[in-house]
Amino acid sequence: MAPIRLLELLILLSALAGFTGLLLRRNLFLKVLAMDVMGSAVVALFVLFAARSGLRSPLLVGLSAASSSGVVPTDLADPVPQAVILTAIVIGLSIQALLLVVVTQLARVDPSLDVSSFEHRN
Amino acid sequence: MLTSPLLTVWLLLPYLLGFVAAMVPLLSRLLVLGCCLLSGFVGAAALLAGPQGAAQLNLLGSTGVTLRLDPLAGWFVLLAALLIAAVLVACWQRSPATPMPLLLLVLQGGLNTAFAATDLISIYVTLEVVGISAFLLMLSDPSASRLWVALRYLLVSNTAMTLYLIGAGLLYAQSGSFSLNALARLPLGAAQAFVLLGLLTKAGVFISGLWLPRTHAEAPAEISALLSGVVVTAGAVPLLRLAQLDPRLLVVLQLVGLGSALLGVLAALRATDLKRLLAWSTLSQMGLVLLSPVAGGAMAFSHGLAKGGLFLLAGGRLPSRQLAGWRERPLPLGLQLGLYGASLSIAGVPPMLGFAAKKGLQETLPPPLAAALVLLSVGTVMVYARLWGAPLAPASAAEPMLTSGVRFSVSALVVVLLLVGCGQLAQGIPVQAMLSSFAVLAAGVLLQQALQRLPVGSVTPPVHGETLQHLLGNLVLLGSGLLLAFQFGVG
Repeated sequence: MAPIRLLELLILLSALAGFTGLLLRRNLFLKVLAMDVMGSAVVALFVLFAARSGLRSPLLVGLSAASSSGVVPTDLADPVPQAVILTAIVIGLSIQALLLVVVTQLARVDPSLDVSSFEHRN
Repeated sequence: MLTSPLLTVWLLLPYLLGFVAAMVPLLSRLLVLGCCLLSGFVGAAALLAGPQGAAQLNLLGSTGVTLRLDPLAGWFVLLAALLIAAVLVACWQRSPATPMPLLLLVLQGGLNTAFAATDLISIYVTLEVVGISAFLLMLSDPSASRLWVALRYLLVSNTAMTLYLIGAGLLYAQSGSFSLNALARLPLGAAQAFVLLGLLTKAGVFISGLWLPRTHAEAPAEISALLSGVVVTAGAVPLLRLAQLDPRLLVVLQLVGLGSALLGVLAALRATDLKRLLAWSTLSQMGLVLLSPVAGGAMAFSHGLAKGGLFLLAGGRLPSRQLAGWRERPLPLGLQLGLYGASLSIAGVPPMLGFAAKKGLQETLPPPLAAALVLLSVGTVMVYARLWGAPLAPASAAEPMLTSGVRFSVSALVVVLLLVGCGQLAQGIPVQAMLSSFAVLAAGVLLQQALQRLPVGSVTPPVHGETLQHLLGNLVLLGSGLLLAFQFGVG
């Protein structure tokens, strides 16, 4: 198996681990953290897709300098997915912050933050 | 008429005005109204221009973003503008210093872009903007149970959108593009399953939409009107665009839509609370919207206006929101008129707009689906027949149940439904369709009466399957269902 495929597998496994944590943890705070694990795995996935076959950053090595030194353009990382995932990181951070604010508010209702204590209130 | 500079201004203006509104709270309500006016104009222009005159906006060249304002988007843009204006007017008497006008502007900005976007990443960003502003609006009047419901909403929708991003990444790895066109050309597989999962959750459809009933029932009534009327459609428009581009996905979406319509009707028939009944009915109507990309826009438009009006009425000082004993508690004439007008439109009775929308949907569907739609319409009538028949309260009631703002915006919404519906009828009266819709109405009312006499109808089941764990588990279920369907070639 090519190492890059192995890396992809590991990243998808960590996304799965995040989702499992989200599903199975009883504590609300841990649920929110597990969601962040999932988000980070997706960020890593996009960085991996952007890498193509090489890991050199196109901004640091100019394209003309690169071709003169024998580097083909496909060896350079693709900037589009990286730009896209930057936006997603910002959105993920702000959602995380909002969720944590609500979690601190809910801690006044039940300091142990057990999900079942909110589920059955009404 | 819709030139690129106008479209750019239209897309950016809500955010700019939001900034101004935060600086000068006194002006904020007028700014929201102005923004709704411009947006309504753009939406109506896109509708009138027709499919040939669809405006396209290419930003930043070949790797950039393409926005498309066709009649499909036009319906939704117009719906968002009307409903946001109606909600603002309904809350006019509140202090303008609250963050509500700012949030309404950001919501409108996000919705407008979501309706016009044609690539997965723009859709992702705008759906998250819409989700965050809906979350903050829900907490405009916080309580412990509202905090929990809002947290649940954001957690589930962000999880679904993270899965959606995996789908977008898979698409880019295979085709080097994020556009919906590229997704439609790809062989059916994991990329489509992840993307559909995210969008279906956002649209509140089928089992992935089970977060919807409790969220919409718990939120403040005027916010529920926005959530049920227009926020859920932000997820439905990309789905309709995908169905337009790819007939294989259309079949899958029709199956999911039928399932959702049936689930929503069955649950709404057993609901015990007015707002829960309305929310379950949203789940069912969103399923109907997904049945056809041609008629979906008009369906969502007529449903959104009517459901918005009904939720605004539910926020009034009703004697009780409990449905048990609904027909013993008198309601004043104004409230009854709004209730009948809006619910008859959703039930598809002429001359309301809901009739024209349902007829349009019926004509675009193949015969087996059209037959299923008739049965579902009977179910919808049965749901709303539960709200009809309350006695009339004397006009000299001590305290009005509705504030004047709510009364004004609900009557405006019902009048729009009536006038546009009559306008559609003026092009030629379809006698056969009208007769069949009256037959559906009669059948629904009679069946509902019969159901009430049965002991089953009065049993109130406890609510299962709506805990956070169920909601997340449903994502897994629907995702694996979609993957299996793609594998075995349902599409």
